[in-house]
Amino acid sequence: MSAVATGTPTRAAAGITLEHVTRRYGAGPGGRIAVDDLSLEIPAGQVCVLVGPSGCGKTTTLKMINRLIAPTSGRVLIDGVDAASRHLVDLRRSIGYVIQHVGLFPHLTVAENVATVPRLLGWSPARQRERTDELLALVGLDPAVDRDRYPARLSGGERQRVGVARALAADPPVLLMDEPFGAVDPIVRARLQDEFLRLQEGLARTIVFVTHDIDEAIKVGDCIAVLGVGGRLAQFGSPAEILAAPASDFVARFVGADRGLKRLSLRLVGDLDLRAASEVRPLPPMAPMLDRSTSLKDALSMLLDAGVQAGAVVDDAGAVTGLVTIDMIAASLRRSAEGAPDAG
Amino acid sequence: MLADQPLLDLGWIGAHAGDIALRTLQHLGLGAMALAVGFAVAFALAMMAAGRPRLLAPLITGAGVVYTIPSLALFAALVPFTGLSLLTAEIPLVLYTQLVLIRGISAGFAAAPPEVLEAADGLGYTRRQRFLAVELPIAIPLIVAAVRLASVSTIGLVMVVTLIGNNFGGLGLYIKEGIASFFPTKVYVGAALSVSLALASDFALARLERRLAPWAESHRDVQPGASAALAGLDPIGA
Ligand SMILES: Nc1ncnc2c1ncn2[C@@H]1O[C@H](COP(=O)(O)OP(=O)(O)OP(=O)(O)O)[C@@H](O)[C@H]1O
Ligand SMILES: [Mg+2]
Repeated sequence: MSAVATGTPTRAAAGITLEHVTRRYGAGPGGRIAVDDLSLEIPAGQVCVLVGPSGCGKTTTLKMINRLIAPTSGRVLIDGVDAASRHLVDLRRSIGYVIQHVGLFPHLTVAENVATVPRLLGWSPARQRERTDELLALVGLDPAVDRDRYPARLSGGERQRVGVARALAADPPVLLMDEPFGAVDPIVRARLQDEFLRLQEGLARTIVFVTHDIDEAIKVGDCIAVLGVGGRLAQFGSPAEILAAPASDFVARFVGADRGLKRLSLRLVGDLDLRAASEVRPLPPMAPMLDRSTSLKDALSMLLDAGVQAGAVVDDAGAVTGLVTIDMIAASLRRSAEGAPDAG
Repeated sequence: MLADQPLLDLGWIGAHAGDIALRTLQHLGLGAMALAVGFAVAFALAMMAAGRPRLLAPLITGAGVVYTIPSLALFAALVPFTGLSLLTAEIPLVLYTQLVLIRGISAGFAAAPPEVLEAADGLGYTRRQRFLAVELPIAIPLIVAAVRLASVSTIGLVMVVTLIGNNFGGLGLYIKEGIASFFPTKVYVGAALSVSLALASDFALARLERRLAPWAESHRDVQPGASAALAGLDPIGA
């Protein structure tokens, strides 16, 4: 069987290339184009987010990668190999898939759902069980309590997490995630996004991630493909590039009027040249305490909230190491807009 | 006319316990055979018609037409061809199971939600694995529900069959003999045991479903005996 059977997390990820991929539903003038001549180059180990309004072809694009849908024209290459030439079942078992409507198997327990691909690959029961418990803990479920429950008894958010665990089970080099965190509340969503990023840091899989939430796209994406109505690519670039220079009115509207603030959310206090603490003495009594990993967006919000011009940057021990001012934050935004590369 | 006899002659029951047990087993055997053959036929037909509504619709219509034929008429119509053989008894019994079974099994095969099938395909099930490991298990609650209904009505119909022919034994014989000899005990014993058989098979199948599909939410609402009550409303024994 394929290399997936080993499940070693050190396996190199695979790059994904879409070459002039078009998908049309229905022939003739009555047909509609779901994905229109889409070309994308997703480097190995990166998270590429597909965003766009409902019906713009995000799900269709994902399904053309694991061949649930065949392109009308164009090619999908995985690791340089035409996906259409691969053995269908092997291809799919090597690609983790989180489907938009979760689609857990109702007749299988949580653990059996998660172990689906390992079971198909013929792992030993002991190894399946070990991997399942590890993954359940990873997505924030309690293996001891949840492993033997049936999907019908889970909340929507719990089901979604089981769906993510199931996609990760055989540690596939490529992951397709269709709105994986759509059904959870904002707090859990933020936690799952953080978990997801932490995980991805260690494993560096190639991930195509679908969302219609631009904030989620900016947070989790190394690159973002904005799709427009009719399945046409509106812009492809890093989050910073798209926020700093939207390619069209459509993209600008889609990323929102607050894209300046969103850009600030990509940069950290630690990225600034901090002013020495000695320059402004004494600190205003209300000055907020920030640390170097606070985003500039949060820093600005805290300064405005406190009604002061400057905040103190403290280290882990609580000692003041520098100052951040509203002017410095605004200047950093201007600099990056003038073409200086923005830290993604 | 039965009035001059005691309603229930316990002495007679005690003296004929062996005979009663034999006829009960014959009754059960006739019903089980019809159900097994009927299930095999309906399962094969439903498999063939799976995902082909243009095949399924006429099948169900046909089974529905058969279902409306009065059972006595059907038995009588078969006698010139197959005599008073076992075949004459089993053919109508099998035919009458088809409507309920084909409908239930087909509904079972169509019960897996599209996103579940998509997940199965996307995760790399082969077609065969998908059918055996996903579609079939998900179909079980609906299939078992159909079998419960069919078993209850079949056991009732065996009454009619055994009213006609003496060769098969079964509990219907007691009804016939009881009426002929003005001996109500036989009538009551035959009727009570037939009802008990129906209830017992319904109960056993409900237990089976619980074991085969512990995940299903619905079976907690359906009490054993529910299909017996439902089938009691059916005019098919007439
Ligand atoms: N099987 C199909 N037959 C016909 N049209 C389809 C089919 N599947 C999708 N479409 C159409 O293709 C377009 C793209 O659908 P797709 O599911 O890829 O959108 P999406 O971007 O994932 O939307 P959403 O955000 O709502 O999930 C839509 O206009 C949809 O109506
Ligand atoms: Mg979609």
